[in-house]
Amino acid sequence: MAPFELETPESLREAIGLLDPDDPDIRPVGGGTAIMLMMKAGVLRPRRLVSLRGVEPAYSRITVGAEGELLIGGLTRLAELEHSPLVRQGWPLLSRTLRTLSNVRVRNVATIGGNLAHADPHMDMPPVLSALGAKVTVTGPQGVRTLAVEELATGYYETVLARNELISQVTVPAQAGRPAAYMKVTTRAAHDWPALGVAVLLDMQGERIANASVIAGAATDRPTRLAEAEAILRGALPEQATLRRAGEAGAAELDIVGDPHGSASYKKHLLTVYLGRAVRVALDSARNKENA
Amino acid sequence: MTSMETAPTEGGIASRQIGRSLNRLEARAKVSGRADYIHNLSLPRMLHAKIFRSTVAHGRIVSIDTSAAREADGVYAVFTAHDIMRVMPEPYFGPAFHDQPILAVEKVRYIGEPVAVVLASDPHVAEEATHLIMAEYEELPAVFNEVDAASSDVHVHDALKPAGTFPDLKHLAGRKATNVALDFRVRRGDVDAAFASAAHVLDDTFTTQQVMHTPLEPMVSVAEPGENAGTLTIHTASQSPSFVRIEIARLLGWAENRVRVRVGLLGGGFGAKLYIKLEALVAALALLTRRPVRVALTMEEQFFTITKHATTFRIQTAVTADGRITGRRCEIWWNGGAYADIGPRVTQKSGFTASGPYDIENVSIDSYQVYTNLPPAGAFRGFGIPQVVWGYESHADMIARKLGIDPVEFRRRNILREGRPHATGTVMRDAAISQVLERVTERMNWQAPFERGSGTVRRGRGIGIGFKALVAPTTSVAMVSLSADGSCTVYSGTVDMGQASDTAIALMAGDVLGIDAENIKVIRPDTDCTPYDMATLGSRSTFHMGHAVRLAAEDARAKVRQLANELGAPFDEPARVGDLLRLKHGMQAGNIVGIGSFMPPYAKPDNETGQSENITPNWMVGGTGVEVEVDTETGHFRLARFENVVDCGTPINPTVVDTQISGAAIMQLGITMFERMEFDSLGQLRNASFAEYKIPGIHDIPDAVGREAVDAVQGNGPFGAKGVGESSTFGVASAIAEAIEDAVGIRIKSLPITPEVVYRALCESRNEPLPEE
Repeated sequence: MAPFELETPESLREAIGLLDPDDPDIRPVGGGTAIMLMMKAGVLRPRRLVSLRGVEPAYSRITVGAEGELLIGGLTRLAELEHSPLVRQGWPLLSRTLRTLSNVRVRNVATIGGNLAHADPHMDMPPVLSALGAKVTVTGPQGVRTLAVEELATGYYETVLARNELISQVTVPAQAGRPAAYMKVTTRAAHDWPALGVAVLLDMQGERIANASVIAGAATDRPTRLAEAEAILRGALPEQATLRRAGEAGAAELDIVGDPHGSASYKKHLLTVYLGRAVRVALDSARNKENA
Repeated sequence: MTSMETAPTEGGIASRQIGRSLNRLEARAKVSGRADYIHNLSLPRMLHAKIFRSTVAHGRIVSIDTSAAREADGVYAVFTAHDIMRVMPEPYFGPAFHDQPILAVEKVRYIGEPVAVVLASDPHVAEEATHLIMAEYEELPAVFNEVDAASSDVHVHDALKPAGTFPDLKHLAGRKATNVALDFRVRRGDVDAAFASAAHVLDDTFTTQQVMHTPLEPMVSVAEPGENAGTLTIHTASQSPSFVRIEIARLLGWAENRVRVRVGLLGGGFGAKLYIKLEALVAALALLTRRPVRVALTMEEQFFTITKHATTFRIQTAVTADGRITGRRCEIWWNGGAYADIGPRVTQKSGFTASGPYDIENVSIDSYQVYTNLPPAGAFRGFGIPQVVWGYESHADMIARKLGIDPVEFRRRNILREGRPHATGTVMRDAAISQVLERVTERMNWQAPFERGSGTVRRGRGIGIGFKALVAPTTSVAMVSLSADGSCTVYSGTVDMGQASDTAIALMAGDVLGIDAENIKVIRPDTDCTPYDMATLGSRSTFHMGHAVRLAAEDARAKVRQLANELGAPFDEPARVGDLLRLKHGMQAGNIVGIGSFMPPYAKPDNETGQSENITPNWMVGGTGVEVEVDTETGHFRLARFENVVDCGTPINPTVVDTQISGAAIMQLGITMFERMEFDSLGQLRNASFAEYKIPGIHDIPDAVGREAVDAVQGNGPFGAKGVGESSTFGVASAIAEAIEDAVGIRIKSLPITPEVVYRALCESRNEPLPEE
């Protein structure tokens, strides 16, 4: 590992000032779980790290907004999110997903902003937050802008963020009891990165699916909305044949490449199976909650 | 050194120690972070060395340009093989062959081979400077597959260079133009006739993949020039300090007593830290720089240091209509990588068991250790046995299916029973093979109706058994010292790498001397004070060091009795030695020192036929039963039941026997389900990290892991005991493959058995193959 400077600013504004839009060798660091691995492996050799640990505590708070939306400070640790009673009550999909995200040591230090900005396509939060319709507030030297989590990643480790912009807040619309599920499909050890992640959020009208939000992660270079699958599910009863058709449509519209987690054809097949399973798990967990 | 937390029992004579369930004596030191690991050692003026490695699988070294690295700020020195040869003129090491250069000489033979080192006071500076070294190679064709390499025109080495340590390998000296480093054979009966008259002949080939030991404490060695010129201390995380001393002395042309090798606790070994790994390198660097030098590998670098053999095992079996095996041919190719390490011994010692624990009149075994351009392979928990059991037990299940015989019943008809000759001619003694098979069967509730599942979840079950001959002949020496207050210290070269050997040694010495194990101090291996021990490997320590410690304790006891006689005092118990010594010396003074040395009898196998009257002192037996649930839509499967039974003779410490059974079974579970070193077509390893090389985590392990040691006694063992560290690896893989076939009707013959492998086989069985990409 090469020597580097470590800056420890005490405000978000100061941190942004220490970043440089044109210098890829200056990097912000939140929990550092991803960046340290990349530095040890020699794939990242920053000249300066800007630690975000000292910025205002306001950026690591979890609150609920006026319209019932969840407001998560960009520096909130994943473990805090996992254990937050607010989140557990209102956004059970997030709590459930976080329990199997990496491991407890990582969750104790990794931040939600860093998690999203890292843009490793195998991560669990991007597809889940995209399915929930979450937005990020991005702060830069010129002020703030807001964009959908879904629009954040542009490819492997690539985002629309400028090098001197930081994710300062994540806003998640109310789950409002809607059935939702995330299926993390691993093909090696259980703690491995997923070969495929499928997140679904369903608006139900009686027995019918009024609207479905379906995002696939891990199998492609960024989380991808499966519009064809959503179209098939819209207005349909969640029957086996329909779910299968939606899965096949989802697999057909995705450009999946093979990697050590599985060949392209196998991962496509997994999607055809797991899209339907995600819908069924979402409906079952919502039903169980009603009965509970 | 073992810390003693409990107060000594005042004057009391301890009851029997063997069979006590005792937690590790060093447990508190470990969990409180006080335990002694070489990894934590830092010495004044110590330099850190980082290794520059080959980027081609096979090539002649044209040039190595180290000038930029030398000039980098903070770099102390950069060395290549030429520098090493200034202190070690013949810089080749290895336990079986002297084939491995400390740093590459003239040629490189695999990607990741050490070529040069950078030294600096700051390890990060040294590591950065390795990126400034430029090496140019003239690339040569390379061989990777073990079967191809056995007959290839591409030769990894020009000639074989057996070390001379092992008499069984001497005949190989000077062989040229071959990659086959050892061709071991067993011949018994008339195999051709058996096949000619067989009702059925089955012919199958099974393969295993290359994997790594992944000790959580990566390899680390520190060499320190001694206070007197021409002496050297090596602090190392090694499983074989005595061998390190012999080999370093040989490389330097020194007497053994000029080299001191000291070992701490190991954070796991599993065979990775055997013989010489980094020790020759640090020794040479310390002599070149006259400063202490440390080499500590990263987890990633361990993949380029030592691995487990990938294998191809072709097995042919002749059976009668009623399921009696009459003949068996075994051909095994062991992928040894670029350097032999202990591979030839694995090839021989596991090779001769390849026909399985079955009573077969006509057997032919050919076992080939093959050089390839991959990272070297050596000993790995099981010493080659899991690879051969995978083949012969899978094959057993396939025969049983073909003949329509229950797999347990098929094994009962063929099992090798007490008093019958094994394929090598050695008559079986104290090998509880039948008992293990029956206990696995009972624990599986085999006779009860079995729920097979429905819909997309199908259930199946399988069992597998295997055996291992204790590696012989090897020697252990131990000393026991009784002080004038009656307290006891044991000096042993057995390395505690997590298997609780210090605790077992204290139990065994305490049993003879009537002292509680908690009150005995076991000295960690240090060749300046602990006597010779061959190595901590192959489940040999309980048997060999157990005997040596027992003999040393008995020797001390006899000397106490003799002292009592001399003094005309009554001989009570050796723990009362303090009274006698005080009586003799008039004060608290003096010692009683007992010595024990043990080497079991052994008859070397015939070179042509592999026949031997006494090929091993004992047989270790393990069996596993599993129930699996297969998801027919995806090929995912999980173990719903996992029963493991071993014969380890009398358990010395039942608590530790229990964890050795579960630990070994879980390790083999990972190798069966997902571990695999993945190489590209150029021989470049693509997953040398824990992010991409997966070992089992807690969620991969079944809720319950059944563990049992059968009620058996090893007649020639210390206190009736024998080893246990590897036995429950044996039956795991084939039992899972059989359970999958039982559930969904497909047979997997290659490890690992991943969900995709299962799903692809399901597609093929439906004649709807999944596209390759």
